[in-house]
Amino acid sequence: MAFEPVLMKHVNVPNSTALTVYKSDGGYEGAAKALKMKPDEVVDLVKQANLRGRGGAGFPAGIKWGFLPPDREVTYLCVNADESEPPTFCNRITIETDPHMLLEGILIAGYATKTTIAYIYMRGEFTEQFHILQKAIDEACAAGYFGKNILGSGYDLECYIHRGAGAYVCGEETGLIESLEGKRGWPRIKPPFPAVEGAFHKPTVVNNVETLACLPHILTRGVEWFTSLGTETSAGPKMYCVSGPVNRPGCYEAPLGISCRELIYGEDFGQGMRDGKKVKVVLPGGLSMGALRGDMFPKNPNPDQPDPKQDYDELDCILDFDDVRRYDLLGLGTAAAVVVPEDVDIREVLVNITRFYALESCGQCTQCREGTMWMYQIAQRLRAGAGRVCDLNLLVEISQNLGMMPGLSICGLSDGGGWPVRNLVQKFRKEFEQRIAEQGADAAARRIKEINPAAYESPIRGYQAAEVHP
Amino acid sequence: MSPRKTRLRKMEINHREVSFPEGVTVLRAAELNDVYIPSLCSHKDLTPFGGCRMCIVEIEGMRGYPLACSTVAAEGMKVLTDTAAVREMRKEILQLILSEHPASCLICDEKTECRENQFTIRKAGVTTGCQNCPNDGQCELQEVVEKVGLTDIEYPVYYRGYEAEHDDPFFDRDYNMCILCGRCVRMCQEVRGTGVLAFKFRGPLAQIGPAFAKSHVEAGCEFCGACVSVCPTGALADKVSKWDGQPDGFELSTCPFCGLGCQIELYHKDGRLSKVHPNLDPVVNDGQLCVRGRFSLPEATHHHTRARKPMLRRGKYFREVTWNEALDDVAEKLKGLKPADFLMVVSGDLTNESLYTAQKFVRTCLKSNSIDSTARDLLPGGPGLWAKLFSLPISIKGLREADAIIAVGLDSRFYFSVAGVEIRHALKDGAALITIDPRDSNLARYTNYWLQPTPGQEGAVLKAIANNIRRATDFSPRGAAGKDIAKKTGVDKVLLEEAIGALSAGEHLAVLLGPTVFEYNANEDLVDALLKLAGRKNTSFLPLYNGANTRGVLELGALGEVLPGVAKAKGQGLSLADVISSRAKPKVLYLVGEVPFFERPDCDYIIAQDIYYPPFEIDAFLPAASFAEAEGTLTNVEGRVQELVQIEDLPDGAVAGFMRPDWYIFSRLAERLNSREFKYKSARAVLKEISKTVPGYPAKPNRKPRRLASKAKLPVEKRKAPVAGTGPYLLIAEPAGFGHRGIDLSSKVEGLEELALEEGFRLNPDDLQKLQIEPGENIAISINKLTVTGPTKADAECPHGAIYYYRPVALGGLEQRANLEPLYRLRASPVKVKARAAKATGKKAKKKAASRKIPMAASTL
Ligand SMILES: Cc1cc2nc3c(=O)[nH]c(=O)nc-3n(C[C@H](O)[C@H](O)[C@H](O)COP(=O)(O)O)c2cc1C
Ligand code: SF4
Ligand code: SF4
Ligand code: SF4
Ligand code: SF4
Ligand code: FES
Repeated sequence: MAFEPVLMKHVNVPNSTALTVYKSDGGYEGAAKALKMKPDEVVDLVKQANLRGRGGAGFPAGIKWGFLPPDREVTYLCVNADESEPPTFCNRITIETDPHMLLEGILIAGYATKTTIAYIYMRGEFTEQFHILQKAIDEACAAGYFGKNILGSGYDLECYIHRGAGAYVCGEETGLIESLEGKRGWPRIKPPFPAVEGAFHKPTVVNNVETLACLPHILTRGVEWFTSLGTETSAGPKMYCVSGPVNRPGCYEAPLGISCRELIYGEDFGQGMRDGKKVKVVLPGGLSMGALRGDMFPKNPNPDQPDPKQDYDELDCILDFDDVRRYDLLGLGTAAAVVVPEDVDIREVLVNITRFYALESCGQCTQCREGTMWMYQIAQRLRAGAGRVCDLNLLVEISQNLGMMPGLSICGLSDGGGWPVRNLVQKFRKEFEQRIAEQGADAAARRIKEINPAAYESPIRGYQAAEVHP
Repeated sequence: MSPRKTRLRKMEINHREVSFPEGVTVLRAAELNDVYIPSLCSHKDLTPFGGCRMCIVEIEGMRGYPLACSTVAAEGMKVLTDTAAVREMRKEILQLILSEHPASCLICDEKTECRENQFTIRKAGVTTGCQNCPNDGQCELQEVVEKVGLTDIEYPVYYRGYEAEHDDPFFDRDYNMCILCGRCVRMCQEVRGTGVLAFKFRGPLAQIGPAFAKSHVEAGCEFCGACVSVCPTGALADKVSKWDGQPDGFELSTCPFCGLGCQIELYHKDGRLSKVHPNLDPVVNDGQLCVRGRFSLPEATHHHTRARKPMLRRGKYFREVTWNEALDDVAEKLKGLKPADFLMVVSGDLTNESLYTAQKFVRTCLKSNSIDSTARDLLPGGPGLWAKLFSLPISIKGLREADAIIAVGLDSRFYFSVAGVEIRHALKDGAALITIDPRDSNLARYTNYWLQPTPGQEGAVLKAIANNIRRATDFSPRGAAGKDIAKKTGVDKVLLEEAIGALSAGEHLAVLLGPTVFEYNANEDLVDALLKLAGRKNTSFLPLYNGANTRGVLELGALGEVLPGVAKAKGQGLSLADVISSRAKPKVLYLVGEVPFFERPDCDYIIAQDIYYPPFEIDAFLPAASFAEAEGTLTNVEGRVQELVQIEDLPDGAVAGFMRPDWYIFSRLAERLNSREFKYKSARAVLKEISKTVPGYPAKPNRKPRRLASKAKLPVEKRKAPVAGTGPYLLIAEPAGFGHRGIDLSSKVEGLEELALEEGFRLNPDDLQKLQIEPGENIAISINKLTVTGPTKADAECPHGAIYYYRPVALGGLEQRANLEPLYRLRASPVKVKARAAKATGKKAKKKAASRKIPMAASTL
C-alpha cells in the first residue's frame, strides 16, 4: 500500500496557504470534531495514538499534557517553531506551505489543554514564514477559528507569534519560555517542569510544530490509521530531511521507521549519492543525535546485531525513536540527516560540529560553556595539523563529562554537543589517528610553540609531560 | 505574615541520619549538619542557579548527579556527598572552571615559595595569577580548590583578555577573573531589584556587565556593593582596600552614617580599618548596605585632610599644641561665661555618650541651656512632633513583613537603600506597594500604584488614604471629598481609590516617609494622617531623617529646650537660628562635629572639635576620634541602642594623630572647670549613667527597639504658613547630601564626589527646553526679591513645573557652592518661583558675586 502523505499533502498545491484552499479538502474538520468532544477525551485520544513529540526528545504529547495540574486556571501553549537544529527544515516547510494545518493543530491542542493563549515562538530568521503565518492567523481569526467562543463551543483562544532573535538554545523549552518572557533566553533548572510552572509562572505546554500538525489528522482519520503507520513504538507519519551531496536533497514524508539507507538511496527520497560517491558519515537526527558510519565501511556480517564498536556500515539503522539507540545514537532528534561523502576529511566534520555548539551554548553551566569551547579548540588544532593522539582521549573525556545524561547541565544542548563528538572520535578513530600520523613527528610541539610559547613551557604538569612529549 | 512554623524532617546524608527544616535544599540541609558540599554559585539569599555544578551529589533513586543547591530535601532522602565518582567529577568540573581563570598558581607546585617572592608594588589591577588577585587569601574559589583537593589541571589556561574596568567609582571589575557564577547578577536583580548587571553574549563569550555597554553609573547602579560582597572571586573588588591583602580580622559594628543603623563588619589590617562588609544581621540590614555604609567608611576617616592634632590660634599663627595646652586655653575661655555669651552646637552624628556628656557639660559646668544641634533641622516640625513620632511603632523589618506598604517621597537608590531592599522583599512575597511621590523614584518604578501629587501635597494624599482606608468601597471618586482631593493634590482619583482598596485588603501596613516630606511648610495634613494611621492595628512606621544619631539628640537632651529623657528644660539658652539670623552674638562658639556656616560667624572665639577642620578661621581645634577610633553607641530610628566598636587604637604620634573621643574631651574640660561629675573611665561608664537618668536606655547596648514614652508636653511647632512666592515653578528642597559630622562626605570620599548627585537644579528636560537652557547651563531663580543662580541638570524623574535642589544636610567641604547659601537657609518648600536662563557675563557676574554677601537675606522671607 503506497503511503499517502498527509503532513505534506499541500506541497506544490497552488495557493496552499489560503484558508479556502485548506478548507477545500477537509481543513478545520478535525478541530470541529475536537471541539465537540470533552478536552480530556481529546487528551485520551492523543494518548492512544501515542503521538510522540517531533521536536527532538520524542516524549508522548498526550502524557505531557497529562502533567498539567488539574486545578489550573491559566494555561499557555508554546509552539516551538524555533527550528534551529542544523540540517533541519521540516517545520519551515509546514509553515510555508500549510500554515493552517499548524493553526488547526494549535486549536486542537489548545482545546485539549484548556489553553488560554497560544504563543508561536518563531525562529528569528524566518521572515517570509512569519508573514505567511501571520496572514494565516489573521485569516483564521476572521473566520472565527481563534478568538472568543470558537465554533460555538464556548472555548476562547488567542494566538500570537513571538519572534526569536537567533539563538539555538531558545529552542530548548525553558529557554524558549524565558525568551518569550522577554528575558535572556537561557534554560531554567528543572523541576519545576513547564507543565507545572512555565511561562509567566503558569502551567505551560511546549510542543513542536510538527507534533501539532499531526493532530488534525489523528482527529479526522482516527487513531487506528495513525497507529497503523510507523513501527510499534513510533507511530505516525514523519517529515524526514536529507541534505548533503545526495541527488535529491529535501524534505520527504514517510511513516516513521524508514532506514537511513532508504533515506539516502530510496527513489522517493534522496535517490543516491551524487557522482556515485560513498557515504562516510551520516548525522541522521540533526547534529545533536550523533553519527553513523556510512557505506564506505564493510557491511556488518550480522546485520541484526549492530555493534557500534566495530567499523561496519551502519546505514541500516531504522530512523524511529528506539532503533537509533542500538547504534549508539542519542535519539531520533529531528530526523534530519546530513550526509558526508567519503572524500571529506573527518577533521573538518569535527570542527564544524564543535564550532556550532561552542557558539550556541548559553554559557551558564560550567561544563557546557568550557567543554564546548575546549572541544572546538582541540578540533581546530587537529584540523590545523597539530593534533596529538592524546587529544582524541581528551575529546572523549570532555564529551562524556558534559550534559544532562550524567546530570551535569541544565539543558540538553551540551548532550547534543558532546554526543556527536564522542561518536565521531570513537567511530572514526582510525582515520583520526592516521591523519595525526601523517603530520610528522614534532608537528604538535612545533605548532604549540609557534602559537603560544608560554603554553608550551607551562608549568601545568599533566599538560606538558604527558601531551607535548608523548 | 507571621513566621511560618517549620517542621523538622529526617534524611540520610552519607549514611548518617540527620534532621533538617522542611523546605530547604539538600545543600542547606547538609550545611546545617556540618557536611561540606563545595558550591560556587549558590547563595542563601538567591534563587538557585545550577550553573557551576560543584554541588553535585548522589541521591538514591535519582538519575545521574542531582544538584544539592537546587534539589529540595525530602523526608527519607538518601544522599551521598562524597563518593569517588562525585569527587572525580567535581575535580573535572573545577578544572574546567579554572581553565578560564588566570590563576594557575592556585594549583602550582611553587605556590608557597612564589608567594614570598611576589611582593612588588603595583599600580593597577594586574590579573595574572592568584597572587596578584586582590582576593588572595579571602577567596571562595581558593577555598573550594583546596577542599576539593585539586592539584593539577589538564587544560592550558585560557586568558580572555578583557580590559579591566576601572571607570566607575567604588569598585573595579576585572572579568578575566570571573567564573560566571551569576551571583552578582542575581543579587543585583533579585535582592536589590536594580537589574544593573546582566549576562552579555553567550557560550564561551558570556560576560557580566550592564547591558548595551553602559557604565554602572548610567545603568542606575546604587553602588551598594552587594555584588562585590557575594563575588566568590577577585573579579569585583573595592577600590579603596583592593591591595590591602588579607585582613587580620573583623569586628561587628554599626554604620555611623544614618539612622537605620546597619550592622557592619569592619575588617582591619595592621590596626587600620581596611574595608566594610555587611553583616547578616536579621533585624536591620540582613547582609545589605548602601553606598555610604559599604564603601565610604575607610576614606571618611583616612582622608589626607583629616585633622589629627590639637591646634590653637597664637597671634597670627594657628599652630599645633599639646592637649594640655589646648584644653587649658579653651577652659580659660569658658570660665565665667554668661549663658548669653556661649553656644555649643553639636552634631547629630555623635555617639550617645558624647551627646549626653555634651549637654551635661553645658548644663552643669556652664549652667546654661545654650546647647543646640543641627539635628533640629533634620527633625522638621520640632521636638514635640518627633517625640510623638518616636512613640509610634517604628520598624524597619515591618516593611518586609507588611502586606501593604505606603512609601511617601523616597528614592532609595543612594539614601536609605536598605529600606528599599526590604520593600522589594515584601513585594516578592506579594505585598502591595503604594508610592506617593511627585518624582519618579526607584520605588515608583516597582510600585503597584504610583500616586503622583503636585509637590507639597503628599501629606494631603496620605490623609485621604488614612481617612478612607477601612472603607474603600464608600470612598467614591464621584463623592465631593474624592473630587476635592483629586483637585487639590493632582492625583488621579480612580487610581487613588484603587490604591485605597488595595491597602484595605492588607492586614499589616507599613508606612515609610522619606525626609523631604517633613521639610514642607504646611504639613499639618501629614501629621494628621500619621496620627490617624497610628490608631490602626498592625501598622508600623518608618519616618526617615538624616543624621546617624538624630534620635539620640532628642532623647539625650542635646537641644536647649529638651532635657535627657525628652523632658522640658527650664528656660532656654541661645539657639543656632539666633546666631545665623544675627539675633544673638555669643562670645564663644563651641562647634562639636558641626559646620553650620560657610563663613566665620561674628564671634570672639570659636572652638571646633571635629575630625576635619571647618572651612573658616577658628581659634581652637580639638581633634575628635572618628567612628573607627572610639567606642560608643548610637540610637537608631527604632530606638535600638547599637554599638560602635573601636577598630583603630594606634599610639599617639605625629602620623597617627592625637584624637580623643568627644565625651573624653568634655570630661577633661569639665575637670578644668572644677567639676567632679565627669569621672568616666570609658564610654560604657557614660552609658551606664545614661541608663540611670534616661528612662528606657540600657546600661549595655542591647539592640532592643524602644518606643519613646515621654510624659513631657513639648509643644508641637505650628508650621509656618507657606511662603507665598510667585511664579510658574515650584522650588522644592530635598534635604540631602552625604553628611557626617558637619562635613559633606563627598568632599572626602572620591567616589561620592564622582556621583555628583547634589550638583545643580534638577528640572524635567521639557522644562529646560521651554526655558531654553541646555543642561549644565545656569538658571536664575527668583524667590520674591532674592535671586540665586546655579547650574541645571536634566532629570526626567522630575515632574513638570518643578525645580528640585538638594539642600545639603552638611555644609562642611562645600565651599565651591557657597553662592547658593541663601537657598540653603531658605525654610520654605515648596515655594513658587520664577526662573529664567542666566547668562552670567561681565557686570552681571560681579553683581552675583556681590549677592553672596547677603547670606541672611533668605531667613527674613
Ligand atoms: C538545545 C536544544 C534545542 C532545541 N531546539 C528545538 C527546536 O528548535 N525546535 C523544537 O521543536 N524543539 C527543540 N528542542 C526540544 C524542546 O526542548 C522540546 O523538547 C520540544 O519543543 C518539545 O516538543 P515536542 O514534545 O512536541 O517534541 C530543543 C532542545 C534542546 C535541548
Ligand atoms: S547545558 Fe549549555 S546551553 Fe544548556 S543551560 Fe547549560 S550552558 Fe546553557
Ligand atoms: S553595586 Fe549594587 S546596584 Fe550596583 S551592580 Fe552591584 S549589586 Fe547592582
Ligand atoms: S563577577 Fe563574581 S559574582 Fe559575578 S559572575 Fe563573576 S565571579 Fe560570579
Ligand atoms: S542605610 Fe544607613 S546605616 Fe545602612 S549602610 Fe547606608 S548609611 Fe549606613
Ligand atoms: S552551587 Fe549548585 S550548581 Fe553551583
